[in-house]
Amino acid sequence: MSTAKFKGKWVPWLFMLPTLIILAVFLYYPVIQTFKLSFYRVAFLGLKTKFAGLDNYIDLLHDSAYHHTVWVTLVITTAVVIIGLGISLAISMLANQKIHGAQVYRFLLIWPFALSPAVAGVVFLFMFSPGFGVVNYLTSLVVGHELNWLGDPTLAVILVIMASVWKNLGYNIVFYLAALQNLNTEVLEAASIDGANAWQRFWHVTFALLSPMTFFLLITNITYSFFDIFGMIDILTKGGPQDATNVMIYNLYRDAFEYYKTGLASAQSVILFLLVVFVTIIQFRTSGRQVHYGG
Amino acid sequence: MRRKTRDEILTHIALIIIVLAVMAPVLFALAKSTQTRAEVYHFPPKLGFGSAGLFNYKVAWTQYDLGLYMKNTLIVAGIVMFFKTLFSMLAGLGLVYYDFPLKEWVFYFILFTLMMPTEIMIVALFNEVSNMAKALGLENSYAVLTVPFLASATGVFLFRQHFSSIPSELADAARVDGAGPVRFLWSILVPISWNAIAALALIQFIYMWNQYIWPLVIIRENEMQLIQVGLRSLTNQQDTTNWGLVMAAAILAMVPPMLIFLLLQEQFTKGFALGQEK
Amino acid sequence: MRRRRFLFPLITVLVLALVIMTVAACAQQQPATEGGGEKVVEVTKVVEVTKVVEAEKPAEETIPEGATVINFWHAFGGGRKLLIERMVADYNYTHPGVYVKVENKGSYRDTLNAAILAAQQGNPPHIVQIFEVGSQLALDSGIFVPFEDNAPSWVHMEDLIGGVANYYNFNGKFYSMPWNSSNPILYYNKDIFRAAGLDPEKPPETFEDMLQVCDKIVSSGAAKNCVSWPLHSWFFEQWMANMGAELANNGNGRDARATEVYLTSDAAKEIVNWWKTMYDKGYYAYSGKLEDWDGADAIFVSGQAAMEITSTSDVVNRQRDAAENGFELGTGYLPYPANSERQGVIVGGASLWMSGGHPDNEMKAATDFVTWFTNTENAVRWHKATGYFPIRKSSVTVLEGQDWFQRNPAYRAAFDQLLNTKDTPATRGAVIGAFPEVRTIIEQAIEKVLAGQATVDEALQEAKEKADKAIQDYNKSVE
Repeated sequence: MSTAKFKGKWVPWLFMLPTLIILAVFLYYPVIQTFKLSFYRVAFLGLKTKFAGLDNYIDLLHDSAYHHTVWVTLVITTAVVIIGLGISLAISMLANQKIHGAQVYRFLLIWPFALSPAVAGVVFLFMFSPGFGVVNYLTSLVVGHELNWLGDPTLAVILVIMASVWKNLGYNIVFYLAALQNLNTEVLEAASIDGANAWQRFWHVTFALLSPMTFFLLITNITYSFFDIFGMIDILTKGGPQDATNVMIYNLYRDAFEYYKTGLASAQSVILFLLVVFVTIIQFRTSGRQVHYGG
Repeated sequence: MRRKTRDEILTHIALIIIVLAVMAPVLFALAKSTQTRAEVYHFPPKLGFGSAGLFNYKVAWTQYDLGLYMKNTLIVAGIVMFFKTLFSMLAGLGLVYYDFPLKEWVFYFILFTLMMPTEIMIVALFNEVSNMAKALGLENSYAVLTVPFLASATGVFLFRQHFSSIPSELADAARVDGAGPVRFLWSILVPISWNAIAALALIQFIYMWNQYIWPLVIIRENEMQLIQVGLRSLTNQQDTTNWGLVMAAAILAMVPPMLIFLLLQEQFTKGFALGQEK
Repeated sequence: MRRRRFLFPLITVLVLALVIMTVAACAQQQPATEGGGEKVVEVTKVVEVTKVVEAEKPAEETIPEGATVINFWHAFGGGRKLLIERMVADYNYTHPGVYVKVENKGSYRDTLNAAILAAQQGNPPHIVQIFEVGSQLALDSGIFVPFEDNAPSWVHMEDLIGGVANYYNFNGKFYSMPWNSSNPILYYNKDIFRAAGLDPEKPPETFEDMLQVCDKIVSSGAAKNCVSWPLHSWFFEQWMANMGAELANNGNGRDARATEVYLTSDAAKEIVNWWKTMYDKGYYAYSGKLEDWDGADAIFVSGQAAMEITSTSDVVNRQRDAAENGFELGTGYLPYPANSERQGVIVGGASLWMSGGHPDNEMKAATDFVTWFTNTENAVRWHKATGYFPIRKSSVTVLEGQDWFQRNPAYRAAFDQLLNTKDTPATRGAVIGAFPEVRTIIEQAIEKVLAGQATVDEALQEAKEKADKAIQDYNKSVE
């Protein structure tokens, strides 16, 4: 970049100091500590510490419950990404039509942006509870019997996915709408004249042009499923039934703050960290743009 | 023409159905929040407004300290919004308008933090902040809730990107005028950066408003607790949950981010969503 | 013109939303008579009691200057939280110079976690309510000081009623002050019993009775399900005790540290088999979530189940629910298998622990508060307002002097059940360091059995192995 520069040797450091200090103290340092802790066994309420080498990692490697946790995380992530983005794109395209009151529809579609995972969690918990929940009443009218949403492992996973998709809808639609409005309509018209049918136009033109945005949303939705989902799981299922919804971040929290297995939890942190690094590298390889992980 | 009208009507119908479906959970919560305990427990479920009126809201606000939690969260979000914007702008200024050795290293130093969300190092951060807070007598304070979040790569890069896109003539002009960097920031950059500022403010507000795991582990006094954990505590007690009350609390917890979103929505789309595209 | 473009969809959507809600509200007015006769409970006796508990909160108190501040953490919400706050306010009013700051910390598990995290952060609260199965962990943690060592002479531990004293006395010492104590009883909806042609004054007593009664209730269509209780290990533990079976070795962990649990015993299998039968026949219903007390309450209160097995401490809540929802409530003993003699129940609930390391004046004030909080008058008050046991013999005398139990049969069933309990290692309750984790393991095993993913024998065998490992890991870490 050829922007004009100010002179000064120390001044830029001064400007960057607050940011650099906070990043060093509250991001880098704890990450290094996490690596260190992962080589220790911390026993009994964090009162005793013992060097354990790679024991924590070996334990995780052999623990079928942890394999299940990783598997569940991947299943939920994939479903949230594919279903969530598919629905969001469809709705965005519908709301992008030039019709009366398009603005109002848009607003009525993107407000879930302001929802928190915890709010989505309590509302879905209440709706899907047996006994007084409304969804079970409706399913019993339609299907003839109630579904055990919170007690059946498969249904519980579906419930978490539904709640997550709903929670993320606003966010996805905001970005898709913005991208759609920025779309070069000339290309579409050209394609239309070329005799491409609606499906071809969508797939080869619209979707292709939207792919950078899809990619961005892919990353944010993965981030959601890795981390932000914690609040929802904690309220909605507590990782149950039979650990069916025990995603990695929830398992990590429980090991760290309920069973006080700090070393084991740190090893899980490191694994999660490597997963994030992996996703980030792919992202840089394919797009070269930055994506934020929350803050 | 005919076909077009028919298509448009179909689109309206489809959109109305979708909008209602998206709203359904909140409408349900709204209805239940006005019901008494007996109405909530009624079988088959009652879906209309109940007879409790705003009573549940009042109870949630006063008896269950929702008001207090919301105040705390507003303060915490306000502090983070202000300082993160300030620090990010300063860092952006340093990165864009100065040349200095190790610049690339600084860039990567900031960049890598994109891969370090709080949740990943929650154990170590808990230990570190607990020890610091104890040494400084700052346990259960706004400080432990905000300081770790006062800087982020997202903010720095948003401003770095934005400043880079500003024509260089502006900085030249400022230099000719003899303006220092601080005046340049204040009187030139800030006024033309409102969209970026608003976008960052909105993201930060919602990010802080939705904070869950950090306040859950670090805060021990209810007086300092934040809204999402407060919401959790309503459903997580050794007693019968009053669901009308919980729904009222959920609705209340939705209001502030919704208002901010309404307020900043347009700037947000301009400053962030579109910025992502270019 | 521009206006209209905005208004049309907005109005349409809002009007539609309103219409849906109104229709929903109206549809509710006409009771659905068809639909398998699910709607048997006639809502005729609605009593206006909704607003009794959720009264206005007293004006925010400020901590008086120079007062000794005592932090007291507990796990209660709802009406109990408000009652505790009122009691604490009474104490603060009558004890100038001391200010007890009371806070609720979520569930039992959350409260214990919060206390341990606070201790790690170097600032534990003076007084914490810890659930019964957390006792050994609390004892091992070294965070707490034995209550009895600091207690004033007039605390009179010998005044505690038998069951309570037996549970919380470890190796001859009270490390904590027993407080909220309860055990499970059977609540039932007399109206549904009548509709099913059953005698509303005869609740089922045994597992076998239960199956018969349930058959009548479900087949007559009087209720959709028959009985509900939370999928919680507590009930399993209670049934084990009721059959005289110990849960852990070494005298239920009271003679020496427990090293294994008897999850594959005949008693354990019989309980889980019965549980499974009840579930498969559609008699037993639960919310699908572990330890979900609310879910079970909702199923019973909404009339979808004729009975609920839950804590005596819910007497007040259930009476209120019955009044609000217009049905007649009955109570009975916890059912047991007919082939074994009823041994009685374990005291469940929680006790108050005091952390150490505070200045002398604070320790003294905290001890004084705990003593006051559990004295005769307050035990009576606590019992009447919740249904938890009056934990002192002297408080029982007071209640008897008021003919309380004659006038309130619902409270009586619970209390009689405790008094009729035989004092054996089984009914004293197991002491296991890793008990909170063991509870989860037991619950997950039962969950698996109900879902048909494992046979009773397989699930219990697997649970035993997991639990034994958890116990051994724990024991190793404290030695």
